[in-house]
Amino acid sequence: MTLESRECVWEVFARKEYADPLHHVGTVTEEDEELAVVSARSIYDEQPWIEMVIVPRSAIREAIRA
Amino acid sequence: MTTTAPPTTAEGTMISLVGSLADNKAALGRAYADWAVSAPTLESAVAAAAMAQDELGHSRSTYPVLKALGVHDAEVDAGRRLALLDAGLVDWTAFIAANLLVDGVLTTFVAETTESSLTQMAQRARKILQEEGSHQVHAEAWARRLCRSGDAQRDLFVARLAEAWEHASRWGGPAGDPGFAAAVDAGLVAHDATHQREQVRSRVLELFAREGVSITLPEPVDWTGWDPDRRRWTP
Repeated sequence: MTLESRECVWEVFARKEYADPLHHVGTVTEEDEELAVVSARSIYDEQPWIEMVIVPRSAIREAIRA
Repeated sequence: MTTTAPPTTAEGTMISLVGSLADNKAALGRAYADWAVSAPTLESAVAAAAMAQDELGHSRSTYPVLKALGVHDAEVDAGRRLALLDAGLVDWTAFIAANLLVDGVLTTFVAETTESSLTQMAQRARKILQEEGSHQVHAEAWARRLCRSGDAQRDLFVARLAEAWEHASRWGGPAGDPGFAAAVDAGLVAHDATHQREQVRSRVLELFAREGVSITLPEPVDWTGWDPDRRRWTP
Protein backbone atom coordinates (compact mmCIF):
# COMPACT_ATOMS: atom_id res chain seq x y z
CA MET A 1 0.00 0.00 0.00
CA THR A 2 2.50 2.65 -1.09
CA LEU A 3 1.25 6.05 -2.13
CA GLU A 4 4.34 7.73 -3.43
CA SER A 5 3.70 8.05 -7.13
CA ARG A 6 3.67 11.55 -8.57
CA GLU A 7 -0.06 11.26 -9.31
CA CYS A 8 -0.87 10.89 -5.58
CA VAL A 9 0.87 14.07 -4.44
CA TRP A 10 -1.26 17.16 -3.92
CA GLU A 11 0.17 20.65 -3.42
CA VAL A 12 -1.68 22.56 -0.69
CA PHE A 13 -2.23 26.32 -0.85
CA ALA A 14 -3.99 28.52 1.70
CA ARG A 15 -4.53 32.12 2.82
CA LYS A 16 -5.65 33.87 5.99
CA GLU A 17 -7.30 36.91 4.41
CA TYR A 18 -9.00 37.52 1.10
CA ALA A 19 -6.55 40.36 0.45
CA ASP A 20 -3.68 37.86 0.61
CA PRO A 21 -2.58 35.63 -2.24
CA LEU A 22 -2.72 31.87 -1.78
CA HIS A 23 0.55 30.60 -0.30
CA HIS A 24 2.04 27.17 -0.71
CA VAL A 25 1.84 25.49 2.71
CA GLY A 26 2.82 21.90 1.94
CA THR A 27 1.81 18.65 0.32
CA VAL A 28 -0.33 15.61 1.06
CA THR A 29 -0.04 12.18 -0.51
CA GLU A 30 -3.39 10.51 -1.13
CA GLU A 31 -4.89 8.49 -3.97
CA ASP A 32 -8.40 9.72 -3.26
CA GLU A 33 -9.30 13.35 -3.96
CA GLU A 34 -11.82 13.67 -1.13
CA LEU A 35 -9.42 12.06 1.31
CA ALA A 36 -6.70 14.46 0.16
CA VAL A 37 -8.98 17.36 1.13
CA VAL A 38 -9.59 15.84 4.58
CA SER A 39 -5.86 15.23 5.03
CA ALA A 40 -4.91 18.74 3.99
CA ARG A 41 -7.37 20.24 6.44
CA SER A 42 -6.17 17.93 9.24
CA ILE A 43 -2.45 18.41 8.68
CA TYR A 44 -2.33 22.14 7.98
CA ASP A 45 -4.82 23.29 10.60
CA GLU A 46 -2.42 25.35 12.73
CA GLN A 47 -3.43 28.65 11.13
CA PRO A 48 -6.88 30.31 10.92
CA TRP A 49 -7.15 29.89 7.15
CA ILE A 50 -10.11 31.36 5.31
CA GLU A 51 -9.36 29.37 2.16
CA MET A 52 -7.40 26.25 1.35
CA VAL A 53 -7.10 24.53 -2.02
CA ILE A 54 -5.29 21.45 -3.24
CA VAL A 55 -3.82 20.92 -6.69
CA PRO A 56 -2.57 17.61 -8.09
CA ARG A 57 1.18 17.88 -8.61
CA SER A 58 0.73 16.20 -11.98
CA ALA A 59 -1.30 19.22 -13.15
CA ILE A 60 1.58 21.64 -12.56
CA ARG A 61 3.59 22.74 -15.60
CA GLU A 62 6.99 24.34 -15.35
CA ALA A 63 7.20 27.77 -16.92
CA ILE A 64 10.81 28.48 -15.93
CA ARG A 65 13.57 26.18 -14.77
CA ALA A 66 16.81 27.90 -13.73
CA MET B 1 -26.47 7.47 38.32
CA THR B 2 -29.92 8.54 39.51
CA THR B 3 -32.65 7.96 36.95
CA THR B 4 -36.38 8.26 37.32
CA ALA B 5 -37.61 6.94 33.96
CA PRO B 6 -37.97 3.18 33.40
CA PRO B 7 -36.17 1.88 30.27
CA THR B 8 -39.40 1.18 28.37
CA THR B 9 -40.45 4.84 28.38
CA ALA B 10 -39.39 7.51 25.90
CA GLU B 11 -37.22 9.23 28.51
CA GLY B 12 -35.70 5.96 29.72
CA THR B 13 -34.78 4.97 26.16
CA MET B 14 -33.22 8.37 25.46
CA ILE B 15 -31.19 8.13 28.68
CA SER B 16 -29.88 4.80 27.48
CA LEU B 17 -29.20 6.08 23.94
CA VAL B 18 -27.56 9.37 24.94
CA GLY B 19 -25.48 7.82 27.73
CA SER B 20 -24.31 5.04 25.43
CA LEU B 21 -23.65 7.52 22.62
CA ALA B 22 -21.33 9.47 24.93
CA ASP B 23 -19.57 6.33 26.21
CA ASN B 24 -19.13 4.95 22.69
CA LYS B 25 -17.73 8.24 21.42
CA ALA B 26 -15.23 8.22 24.29
CA ALA B 27 -14.24 4.64 23.46
CA LEU B 28 -14.06 5.39 19.73
CA GLY B 29 -11.92 8.45 20.45
CA ARG B 30 -9.45 6.37 22.43
CA ALA B 31 -9.43 3.64 19.76
CA TYR B 32 -8.77 6.20 17.02
CA ALA B 33 -6.02 7.80 19.11
CA ASP B 34 -4.26 4.42 19.39
CA TRP B 35 -3.66 4.64 15.64
CA ALA B 36 -2.45 8.25 15.57
CA VAL B 37 1.16 7.12 15.32
CA SER B 38 0.75 3.82 13.48
CA ALA B 39 -1.72 4.39 10.65
CA PRO B 40 -0.41 3.25 7.23
CA THR B 41 0.23 6.81 6.03
CA LEU B 42 1.23 10.04 7.72
CA GLU B 43 -1.93 11.63 6.34
CA SER B 44 -4.19 9.02 7.93
CA ALA B 45 -2.26 9.14 11.20
CA VAL B 46 -3.03 12.84 11.39
CA ALA B 47 -6.64 12.18 10.37
CA ALA B 48 -6.91 9.51 13.11
CA ALA B 49 -5.65 12.01 15.67
CA ALA B 50 -8.10 14.66 14.43
CA MET B 51 -11.01 12.21 14.49
CA ALA B 52 -10.02 11.08 17.99
CA GLN B 53 -10.08 14.68 19.15
CA ASP B 54 -13.51 15.14 17.56
CA GLU B 55 -14.95 12.02 19.19
CA LEU B 56 -13.63 12.85 22.63
CA GLY B 57 -15.06 16.36 22.29
CA HIS B 58 -18.44 14.98 21.20
CA SER B 59 -18.43 12.62 24.16
CA ARG B 60 -17.60 15.37 26.60
CA SER B 61 -20.34 17.63 25.23
CA THR B 62 -22.96 14.86 25.15
CA TYR B 63 -22.91 13.84 28.82
CA PRO B 64 -24.61 17.09 29.97
CA VAL B 65 -27.62 16.19 27.80
CA LEU B 66 -28.41 13.50 30.38
CA LYS B 67 -29.11 16.24 32.92
CA ALA B 68 -31.94 17.51 30.72
CA LEU B 69 -33.35 13.97 30.86
CA GLY B 70 -33.43 14.02 34.66
CA VAL B 71 -30.09 12.31 35.31
CA HIS B 72 -28.37 14.60 37.78
CA ASP B 73 -25.23 12.63 38.57
CA ALA B 74 -24.43 11.10 35.21
CA GLU B 75 -21.59 8.64 35.36
CA VAL B 76 -18.93 9.28 32.74
CA ASP B 77 -17.53 6.31 30.81
CA ALA B 78 -19.90 3.90 32.52
CA GLY B 79 -19.29 0.82 30.35
CA ARG B 80 -22.13 1.53 27.92
CA ARG B 81 -19.83 1.02 24.92
CA LEU B 82 -19.93 -1.66 22.27
CA ALA B 83 -18.03 -4.80 23.28
CA LEU B 84 -16.20 -4.43 19.95
CA LEU B 85 -14.36 -1.42 21.40
CA ASP B 86 -13.34 -3.05 24.70
CA ALA B 87 -9.89 -4.04 23.48
CA GLY B 88 -9.30 -1.38 20.83
CA LEU B 89 -9.05 -1.92 17.09
CA VAL B 90 -6.65 -4.72 16.27
CA ASP B 91 -5.55 -3.66 12.80
CA TRP B 92 -6.15 -0.98 10.18
CA THR B 93 -8.98 -2.90 8.51
CA ALA B 94 -10.72 -3.06 11.91
CA PHE B 95 -10.15 0.69 12.25
CA ILE B 96 -11.82 1.42 8.92
CA ALA B 97 -14.66 -1.03 9.63
CA ALA B 98 -15.38 0.82 12.90
CA ASN B 99 -14.92 4.18 11.17
CA LEU B 100 -17.50 3.15 8.58
CA LEU B 101 -20.04 1.23 10.68
CA VAL B 102 -19.71 2.18 14.37
CA ASP B 103 -19.14 5.85 13.62
CA GLY B 104 -21.80 5.51 10.90
CA VAL B 105 -24.46 4.10 13.23
CA LEU B 106 -23.77 6.68 15.95
CA THR B 107 -23.76 9.56 13.47
CA THR B 108 -27.00 8.35 11.91
CA PHE B 109 -28.62 8.51 15.35
CA VAL B 110 -27.23 12.02 15.91
CA ALA B 111 -28.63 13.10 12.53
CA GLU B 112 -32.03 11.84 13.67
CA THR B 113 -31.96 14.29 16.60
CA THR B 114 -31.31 17.57 14.79
CA GLU B 115 -34.98 18.48 15.20
CA SER B 116 -35.39 16.74 18.55
CA SER B 117 -37.74 18.09 21.20
CA LEU B 118 -34.76 17.56 23.47
CA THR B 119 -33.21 20.89 22.50
CA GLN B 120 -29.89 20.27 24.25
CA MET B 121 -29.36 17.24 22.00
CA ALA B 122 -30.54 19.05 18.86
CA GLN B 123 -28.09 21.89 19.46
CA ARG B 124 -25.16 19.51 19.86
CA ALA B 125 -26.26 17.38 16.90
CA ARG B 126 -25.70 20.16 14.38
CA LYS B 127 -22.13 20.78 15.54
CA ILE B 128 -21.34 17.06 15.74
CA LEU B 129 -22.61 16.48 12.20
CA GLN B 130 -20.37 19.23 10.83
CA GLU B 131 -17.32 17.40 12.13
CA GLU B 132 -18.55 13.90 11.31
CA GLY B 133 -18.64 14.74 7.60
CA SER B 134 -14.88 14.32 7.33
CA HIS B 135 -15.04 11.03 9.28
CA GLN B 136 -17.39 9.61 6.66
CA VAL B 137 -15.19 10.82 3.82
CA HIS B 138 -12.19 9.16 5.49
CA ALA B 139 -14.04 5.88 6.08
CA GLU B 140 -15.46 5.66 2.57
CA ALA B 141 -12.23 6.61 0.81
CA TRP B 142 -10.28 3.98 2.77
CA ALA B 143 -13.03 1.42 2.18
CA ARG B 144 -12.63 1.96 -1.56
CA ARG B 145 -8.86 1.65 -1.22
CA LEU B 146 -9.07 -1.57 0.80
CA CYS B 147 -11.49 -3.04 -1.74
CA ARG B 148 -8.84 -2.46 -4.42
CA SER B 149 -5.86 -3.68 -2.36
CA GLY B 150 -5.88 -7.32 -3.41
CA ASP B 151 -7.83 -10.38 -2.36
CA ALA B 152 -6.25 -10.94 1.06
CA GLN B 153 -6.64 -7.35 2.25
CA ARG B 154 -10.18 -7.10 0.85
CA ASP B 155 -11.27 -10.39 2.42
CA LEU B 156 -9.88 -9.38 5.81
CA PHE B 157 -11.70 -6.06 5.53
CA VAL B 158 -14.99 -7.79 4.67
CA ALA B 159 -14.56 -10.05 7.72
CA ARG B 160 -13.89 -7.01 9.93
CA LEU B 161 -17.02 -5.33 8.55
CA ALA B 162 -19.12 -8.37 9.41
CA GLU B 163 -17.75 -8.36 12.95
CA ALA B 164 -18.30 -4.61 13.39
CA TRP B 165 -21.85 -4.86 12.03
CA GLU B 166 -22.74 -7.58 14.56
CA HIS B 167 -22.15 -5.02 17.30
CA ALA B 168 -23.04 -1.73 15.63
CA SER B 169 -26.30 -2.97 14.12
CA ARG B 170 -27.64 -3.92 17.57
CA TRP B 171 -26.87 -0.53 19.12
CA GLY B 172 -30.30 0.90 18.27
CA GLY B 173 -32.09 -2.12 19.71
CA PRO B 174 -34.62 -4.60 18.29
CA ALA B 175 -37.35 -3.73 15.81
CA GLY B 176 -40.57 -2.63 17.45
CA ASP B 177 -38.95 -1.65 20.73
CA PRO B 178 -41.73 0.16 22.66
CA GLY B 179 -39.34 2.61 24.35
CA PHE B 180 -37.84 3.67 21.02
CA ALA B 181 -41.32 3.98 19.51
CA ALA B 182 -42.34 6.20 22.41
CA ALA B 183 -39.23 8.35 21.86
CA VAL B 184 -40.19 8.78 18.20
CA ASP B 185 -43.78 9.64 19.17
CA ALA B 186 -42.48 12.23 21.64
CA GLY B 187 -40.37 13.90 18.94
CA LEU B 188 -37.13 13.05 20.74
CA VAL B 189 -35.74 11.22 17.70
CA ALA B 190 -37.04 11.24 14.13
CA HIS B 191 -37.12 7.52 13.25
CA ASP B 192 -36.81 4.14 14.94
CA ALA B 193 -33.81 1.80 15.08
CA THR B 194 -34.88 -0.29 12.07
CA HIS B 195 -35.10 2.83 9.90
CA GLN B 196 -31.71 4.01 11.10
CA ARG B 197 -30.11 0.62 10.40
CA GLU B 198 -31.54 0.72 6.90
CA GLN B 199 -30.05 4.16 6.31
CA VAL B 200 -26.57 2.89 7.21
CA ARG B 201 -27.06 -0.38 5.34
CA SER B 202 -28.19 1.21 2.08
CA ARG B 203 -25.35 3.75 2.09
CA VAL B 204 -22.67 1.15 2.78
CA LEU B 205 -24.04 -1.49 0.41
CA GLU B 206 -24.15 1.09 -2.38
CA LEU B 207 -20.52 1.99 -1.71
CA PHE B 208 -19.42 -1.65 -1.95
CA ALA B 209 -21.62 -2.36 -4.96
CA ARG B 210 -19.79 0.41 -6.82
CA GLU B 211 -16.54 -1.42 -6.02
CA GLY B 212 -17.97 -4.73 -7.20
CA VAL B 213 -17.58 -6.25 -3.72
CA SER B 214 -20.45 -8.24 -2.28
CA ILE B 215 -21.13 -7.88 1.44
CA THR B 216 -24.19 -8.46 3.58
CA LEU B 217 -25.37 -6.33 6.49
CA PRO B 218 -28.23 -8.42 7.86
CA GLU B 219 -30.93 -7.30 10.23
CA PRO B 220 -29.94 -8.68 13.63
CA VAL B 221 -32.11 -11.63 14.66
CA ASP B 222 -30.53 -13.13 17.77
CA TRP B 223 -30.82 -10.70 20.70
CA THR B 224 -29.41 -13.12 23.27
CA GLY B 225 -26.66 -11.26 25.10
CA TRP B 226 -28.23 -7.84 24.45
CA ASP B 227 -28.22 -5.42 27.37
CA PRO B 228 -30.83 -2.72 26.61
CA ASP B 229 -29.64 -0.37 29.36
CA ARG B 230 -26.03 -0.35 28.19
CA ARG B 231 -27.00 -0.90 24.53
CA ARG B 232 -24.31 -3.53 24.40
CA TRP B 233 -24.33 -6.94 22.80
CA THR B 234 -21.97 -9.58 24.13
CA PRO B 235 -21.59 -12.59 21.82
